[in-house]
Amino acid sequence: MIATNVRRLSVYLLLAFAAVAGALGWWQVLDAQALATRQDNPQVIATRRSLPRGSIFDAQGQLLASSTIVEGVSRRAYTDPAFTHVIGYASLRYGATSIERAWDDLLVGRTDPNPLRDLLNDILARQPSPHDLTLTIDRRLQDFAASQLAGNVGAIVAIDPRSGAILAMTSSPTYDATGFSGDPSTAAATFDAVAAAKDKPFLDRVRQGHYTPGSIMKVLTAAAALDSGAITPETTFPDQPAQESDGFVVSGFTIREHDLGKVKPALWNLSPALQVSSNIFFAHVGLEVGADRYLDYARRFGFCKGLRIGTDARGLAVDPSFVSAQSNGGCAPFSDDVELASAAFGQARVSVTPLQMALLAAAIANDGTVPHPFVVRDLRAHAANPAAGPSGTVLERYGGDHGDGAISTQAAAEVRAAMIDAVSGPLGRLYAGAGAVSRFGVSGVLTAGKTGTAERGPGLKPHSWFIGFAPAQPGAAPTIAIAVIIEGGGTGSGHAAPIGGAVMAEWLKLLAAAA
Amino acid sequence: MRAVARPVELRLLLPLVILVPLGFAVTHIAQTGLPEPGPMAIAIGYVGLVLAAHLALRLLGNRGDQLLLPAAATVGGIGIVMLNRLPQDLLGTDVFGVQMGMATTQLLWFGVGLGAMVLVADRFRDDGILRHYKYTWALAGTALLIVTFLFGREVNGARLWIFVGPVGFQPGEAIKIVLVIFIAGYLAEKRTLLAGASVRLGRLRFPPLPYLLPMVVIFVIVMLIVVVSRDLGTALLFLGIFLTMLFVATGRRSYVLLGLVLFVAGSLVAYNLFGHVRVRVDNWIDPFADPSGTGYQTVQALYAFGRGGLFGEGLGQGLPMIGGHLPIPALPTDFIFAAVAEELGLIGAVALLGVVTVLVFRGLRTAILARDDFSAMLAVGLTVSLGLQTIIIAAGNVKLVPLTGITFPFLSYGGSSLLASFVVVGLLLAISHRSAIDAQAEGRAA
Repeated sequence: MIATNVRRLSVYLLLAFAAVAGALGWWQVLDAQALATRQDNPQVIATRRSLPRGSIFDAQGQLLASSTIVEGVSRRAYTDPAFTHVIGYASLRYGATSIERAWDDLLVGRTDPNPLRDLLNDILARQPSPHDLTLTIDRRLQDFAASQLAGNVGAIVAIDPRSGAILAMTSSPTYDATGFSGDPSTAAATFDAVAAAKDKPFLDRVRQGHYTPGSIMKVLTAAAALDSGAITPETTFPDQPAQESDGFVVSGFTIREHDLGKVKPALWNLSPALQVSSNIFFAHVGLEVGADRYLDYARRFGFCKGLRIGTDARGLAVDPSFVSAQSNGGCAPFSDDVELASAAFGQARVSVTPLQMALLAAAIANDGTVPHPFVVRDLRAHAANPAAGPSGTVLERYGGDHGDGAISTQAAAEVRAAMIDAVSGPLGRLYAGAGAVSRFGVSGVLTAGKTGTAERGPGLKPHSWFIGFAPAQPGAAPTIAIAVIIEGGGTGSGHAAPIGGAVMAEWLKLLAAAA
Repeated sequence: MRAVARPVELRLLLPLVILVPLGFAVTHIAQTGLPEPGPMAIAIGYVGLVLAAHLALRLLGNRGDQLLLPAAATVGGIGIVMLNRLPQDLLGTDVFGVQMGMATTQLLWFGVGLGAMVLVADRFRDDGILRHYKYTWALAGTALLIVTFLFGREVNGARLWIFVGPVGFQPGEAIKIVLVIFIAGYLAEKRTLLAGASVRLGRLRFPPLPYLLPMVVIFVIVMLIVVVSRDLGTALLFLGIFLTMLFVATGRRSYVLLGLVLFVAGSLVAYNLFGHVRVRVDNWIDPFADPSGTGYQTVQALYAFGRGGLFGEGLGQGLPMIGGHLPIPALPTDFIFAAVAEELGLIGAVALLGVVTVLVFRGLRTAILARDDFSAMLAVGLTVSLGLQTIIIAAGNVKLVPLTGITFPFLSYGGSSLLASFVVVGLLLAISHRSAIDAQAEGRAA
């Protein structure tokens, strides 16, 4: 009797020991990598303190970040504040952010990209040797974008629509992280000064800025409506002309048009409606799409979930964008038709990041496929003299995989045509026309675009938005898609559009010069 | 009392003769970079003590289980190698003006423990003194607990220490053994009554409370004092021992379930009433919520596990000092398992658990082979006290359960723990010796 019970007990005890061994396996093997890259991990701190750290170069091999060992302590220097938010910092005192954080183990060489050599290094307890990174960003375009933003609070992000390579990504105001990644004696003062500065320089607005999109959201609405068949480019709404002045009553709530200026209301289909940016027209379109389908299309373009520049395993986290209220990190169902109709022209509870809106433009440019964004192009052997440029030995390449199909090629072409009209059509040129690359010295190229003027409530100047891509003429493969936001910048056409046009034109000129 | 051969024990101890000094040499080389073995006195002392204990068991004619001592000595050997590689002034004692480092102190207690083990294995071959005076034992234990609670010294927020001159000890360790003896005596006597009878209340069956009452009363008193002393780990351990012994004696899972339900209810009350319980539990749920404050040790232990990986950093090559301090403050006591796992890796840590499992299974085997109910229950209780204590602290280290401040038997730094653990092994040796003698006698009779 006792013997039987003891035997049963032995099984229970064995299970308990097995459970402990299982948990050990989780921490020591399965979760070890995640633990090893946490910023408060003493080994991360110790490694950062004394080991050489790899350099970071731009797409052309220009040096952006490098380290030297001074009195046994690693000091990091950054050459260009326009890159601060992309690269982040690696500070002994304040940890690491952005690329410096996500690639930390590879930069110091604690991990080897070759799994076999990584295991061998572990077993032989070899000293880590650093690796260098090359970005997809060309410093010339990045600096140009930063100069366009200077003095404003806002962000610019440009993407190659075909590959997803980030071409420019800058947030303003920025700061120089060398002050607290280098000399430890000045670190605290510099860091505190940045932390106390106005307009939150630490915030990377491209990834962490949450904005009401206003009319640029109509691009998503149009894409959803055309792809789902809710409308065709010729669809009109008979009540719309009268509602432009009287308002559109949805479930007892009156949706009103924004100030159309000199434009006379008429019966519009997609192209003129996008040109004058008719809220009434797009409210109708949103209701035609319907709440469930609208959410479905939003998700296809990347809304309602956190995004990554890079991969889930190694990349920069991008805050989620929402078309409705937030619920458990995703989008809640629309509460009523008023919210859906307002979301369709970018108001209500819509909240977006600039990166998400650049992806939207890129997806239209890329025939309806949302590219996977990435900003680190490759991992290389460490160049002993970083000033002389990167090593030729590429160890690992990133990015370039297929994106996610969101809408059909046909629907994408129809949205693109409407966006071209929004820039160069008879009515559109009054607004988004300011973003045409032809105004910035690039001829023979059409631009697709849309401005946004995001109302923020009484007494606050609206946010100024522009999204677009070029070259957009039928048959051409667009080489750049862009999103620009100026916080409190007023109208989209007045502020963000010309900046977007100038940056796109600069890129087309750089490409033409290289060809 | 004729001398006997213990060949299996000797063969299993011999690898330690080489491996422990080798461990000392490896850590010395890793830490200093010098191609020399470094000081060996403690390693040689350890080897000498273990072999002396083996010799003493032979000379005293003990026919007890031959795997118990090697298993305990292996865990203890790993422990002393780990303790020796840590900064020696971290803990340690000052005995009448003589400063002793951590490893030296541990070695000393090792000697005391092994001595006690041999003595107990020899003296308690006849278990009458344990069996017949169970209430006296229980009373003595409770009295000791009360004395500690009233006059003990507070260390780390819990009053668990009694100091006699310079030497401090934790009576909780002794009380653990006394409690096991009492429960074993009680259950062995009332076993048949308990297993058969039950009180029906509608469709539910409850244990026959009147029969259990004396034991439950004493147990509750002990638990109350332990809980009031804020010694959560010991409370959990005592409860586990109690429920396990009850299960083995009666074969009723319902008793264990009832106990667990009461435990969960009590835990919820404690969580809401006591700040220190809440802190422990919150830390367990998310140590990263306050990684530099209350969650510090847990988080640092997880990092240690992560650094170790599959193969470990190697003896003497892990545990990076942070600002001149060990990465985990309570490393020698509560977190020594994490230290072993970092330096010896998943492989080493699982092997270590495996050795403890061997010890536990040999203890349970002793119970199965025991000739009478009392011996069987005693062996079960003692074995479970070692096994559960290991599981509770190791599971706390790996964040399976909230961390409680109890020691890892034979591995952690601490004299009281080491002494009590060796006394447990001594008692198991005594019980298995008697079974062997009885079996032999029967064999002859047949």
